[in-house]
Amino acid sequence: MRLGEPARMQAAINITPLVDVVLVLLIIFMVMAPQMRKGPDVNLPNTTKPNAQGDERGRILVSIDEAGGLWINDQSVAAEHFDEALRAAVGAETNPKIVIRGDAKLNFREVREVMVAIEQTGFRGVGLIAKRTGTEGK
Amino acid sequence: MQFNSSDSGSSLQSEINITPLVDVVLVLLIIFMVVVPLLMEGYDVDIPRASADTSAPVAESQLILGIGATACPILTPPAGEGIPKDCQVTLADQKIPVAELPGRVATILRGRPAEQRALFLAVDDRLNYEAVLRIIDLAKSGVEDLKIEFVAAN
Repeated sequence: MRLGEPARMQAAINITPLVDVVLVLLIIFMVMAPQMRKGPDVNLPNTTKPNAQGDERGRILVSIDEAGGLWINDQSVAAEHFDEALRAAVGAETNPKIVIRGDAKLNFREVREVMVAIEQTGFRGVGLIAKRTGTEGK
Repeated sequence: MQFNSSDSGSSLQSEINITPLVDVVLVLLIIFMVVVPLLMEGYDVDIPRASADTSAPVAESQLILGIGATACPILTPPAGEGIPKDCQVTLADQKIPVAELPGRVATILRGRPAEQRALFLAVDDRLNYEAVLRIIDLAKSGVEDLKIEFVAAN
């Protein structure tokens, strides 16, 4: 086959099915990834009009599971070490955004105690995470 | 230009090439699937200052919403949407049914400058957390930029 001469046979591999398969695999893994998260299973309270709290990344997530166990960014933390763990999670960040993901079954006392602990570590203002009624959300 | 009644032997490919379209749509799907689960929604609140001087006099203008476990007995997660009707809350020392909350809060705070539109919450420890968030949600539906601050329950 000489250059410039129109080829009769198409010699290139058809990559379209390959790309499709790869994209579908990518989608499957991305759907599975959040469910493989190690953090606690928190059943967030349902409300009608929660405000946007931004992206999960860049926030410090303090979770309180159904049994009242404390978690900071997917790490289980004992109540007596909470302030050290929170300081470690904040690190050198000057204006950290802390949010509380509390389970719907909790008493207000358990959430208030965590808020007080956060305040005693030196932070004011948190976001209380809810999920909009009718949405999936974790 | 003349249209052929049969396609056979046509040298022009008349179908739209949908492969790039499919690729773009799949990439958009991927982008949305990555971003959506990471977005959170909730309520900004101020934390009660346990270390602060609690004996400081309460300012006249502070609008305090009291939610007690006897007047508003929601100790387990409320079923369905909204708050049970038998719940009564105390707004500025007045006992009102919870359904009237957005209207009352809006009436009291409407005339105030934006930075003074704050609601101070005194919540009974025994109340269910989901119920508390739903009452905050209800209060916020009256005043859009309402600031929520917790105070120690008495």
